[in-house]
Amino acid sequence: MSEVTLDSLTKRYDEEVAVDGIDLTVRDGEVLGVIGPSGCGKTTTLRTIAGFETPTEGRVLFDDDDVTHVPPEDRNVGLVFQSYALFNNMSVLDNVAFGLKMQGVDKEERRDRANELLELVGIGEHAEKDPRQLSGGQQQRVGLARALAIEPRILLLDEPMTGLDAKLKKRLEEEIGSLLDELNVTTLYVTHDQEEAMVMCDRIAVLNDGRIEQIGTPAEIYERPANAFVADFVGTSNAVSATIEDGRMDLGFATYDIDDIPETAEGTAIVRPGDFRVGEGDIEGVVRDRYYLGDRVRARIELPNGDLVTVALDPSTENARTGDTVSLVLDPSGVHVLRSE
Amino acid sequence: MNTIRSFVSPRTEADRERRRIAVMCLPYFVLATFGAFLPLGMLARMSVSESQFSNEGFSLSAWELLLTEPVYREIAWNTLWFATATTLFSVAVAVAISHALAKYQLPFRRWIVAMVSFPIALPGIVVGFMIVVLFGRTGLLTNAVAFFTGENPIDLAVALTVGGLFLGYSFSLIPRATMVLRGTFAEINEDAEEAAKSLGASPLLTFRYVTLPQVWPGIVAAFVLTFRTALAIFGTVLVLPALNVATLRINLEIQSLGFNLATASAIGLIYFVFIFVFTFGGVKLIDNESLKI
Repeated sequence: MSEVTLDSLTKRYDEEVAVDGIDLTVRDGEVLGVIGPSGCGKTTTLRTIAGFETPTEGRVLFDDDDVTHVPPEDRNVGLVFQSYALFNNMSVLDNVAFGLKMQGVDKEERRDRANELLELVGIGEHAEKDPRQLSGGQQQRVGLARALAIEPRILLLDEPMTGLDAKLKKRLEEEIGSLLDELNVTTLYVTHDQEEAMVMCDRIAVLNDGRIEQIGTPAEIYERPANAFVADFVGTSNAVSATIEDGRMDLGFATYDIDDIPETAEGTAIVRPGDFRVGEGDIEGVVRDRYYLGDRVRARIELPNGDLVTVALDPSTENARTGDTVSLVLDPSGVHVLRSE
Repeated sequence: MNTIRSFVSPRTEADRERRRIAVMCLPYFVLATFGAFLPLGMLARMSVSESQFSNEGFSLSAWELLLTEPVYREIAWNTLWFATATTLFSVAVAVAISHALAKYQLPFRRWIVAMVSFPIALPGIVVGFMIVVLFGRTGLLTNAVAFFTGENPIDLAVALTVGGLFLGYSFSLIPRATMVLRGTFAEINEDAEEAAKSLGASPLLTFRYVTLPQVWPGIVAAFVLTFRTALAIFGTVLVLPALNVATLRINLEIQSLGFNLATASAIGLIYFVFIFVFTFGGVKLIDNESLKI
């Protein structure tokens, strides 16, 4: 495994900038998630690491090796595709053994190692089948086993769960997550699904318009977003104008003591839906709509100043209906303030 | 009776579907009856006719002639090897062109496609003439090469050799093979190709193990279509008669060698049966899902 570094990486297509001066390090053995909206440069970044795109500027380093201009076949990179990209003219076993064959490993050994990997990903009994006979989840496991077979310097996963049904996706997340932990593979995990990234990744980079907005652990990204884009993109948030003065935060509808921003500032308070609860609080509001989501209810509540806030309610204890006036309690410890520039 | 009733006033969706299929196929059967089945029947009758000018009597002399005269074996051999060679060459060139068109963002792409496909519209006779204009004794390229090498243009002219005929055939066949293969190459799973490269396969090995199996049915289809066309080329070989092939011979039998309708019909029938069996075999090969290389 390797540490992979992107050094001021830029990729332009004519006038369009797909990746704009990214500096990023995937640490040895780490699973780094890359999330962002469509067209933000996630896949271009991944393809540049794989060698399928040549950067316009900047470098790609595997440890200290500059691989910027090394062709894909000489990079030893494992790629897992959303489309599975299996070789349908070969059996499942031959798919997994393909990379070893290209490395010149003898037939006996590559069969043994391919069988081992298929057992590891839980589909050993399907070794001799045509890949098209397998379900989507099974095909993705074959793709993963095939990529791992060559013991890659970095494993690149490009939206590997997209297209799978919700239940299978959840199971695969757990299985692949623990497999990557166990094997300690340096991994770049590209997804548009932030929840998936939070489950699978040690750290997450949030991309927007080809630039990195923030890199951090899932908790840091969620609880301490670096800017309004990250706050808005990761999870649901309420952006409320705030004035901070002498350790007190005035949200317009209520005032709270806070510790971490002592100086005077104008800014935006990022309040997550879970920071509110219905109770004997000092914020009055009217429930404008509510959606039952099984384990929680998401409601939008109109505050006296006309602002709408999204609130996560516990369906077993909080049964406010549309049109009800409720009293809200806000836990200020979860509130994160973005100071105005 | 029930079949007629369900056709006239169908009651189920299956009946209606059968009727739609029958209506859609009707023009083809009418055309095939008058354009193929009847003429073929006439050919069969003519090939065993005793009279040279009308379908009278019964004689197998034309068939005996085909089986015993060495010249007809030579024609069969010439027809087969030349069609095979030009087809293999044309399909190989078409694979390279189709691959390049599908894979790379080529400049002037539309122009290239137009240039590659336009010979389809040219009659064989024009193609033959173009070969003469380029590679004949007074041909443009012949004289250009003669100018730079100091050789005599008469020694360099290839238009009326087997090589010239080969060029003429290829000129007509390459576009046909390319048109078939372009569709096949457009559907290649590029993710699989990239997966192979990331696993260490060179571009050549990627083509061998991943691309070729995907395009193989298309190559077989292109081979079948192109080979049939090669067997049927007439105009080009009429202008460049370097090799005695079946189409040229049929023309000779009817015109230059006298009105040998029985012999010409027998050659035509063999030609038809061969192409029919060959096409049937080719389609079966393409349909075979276990087709692997």
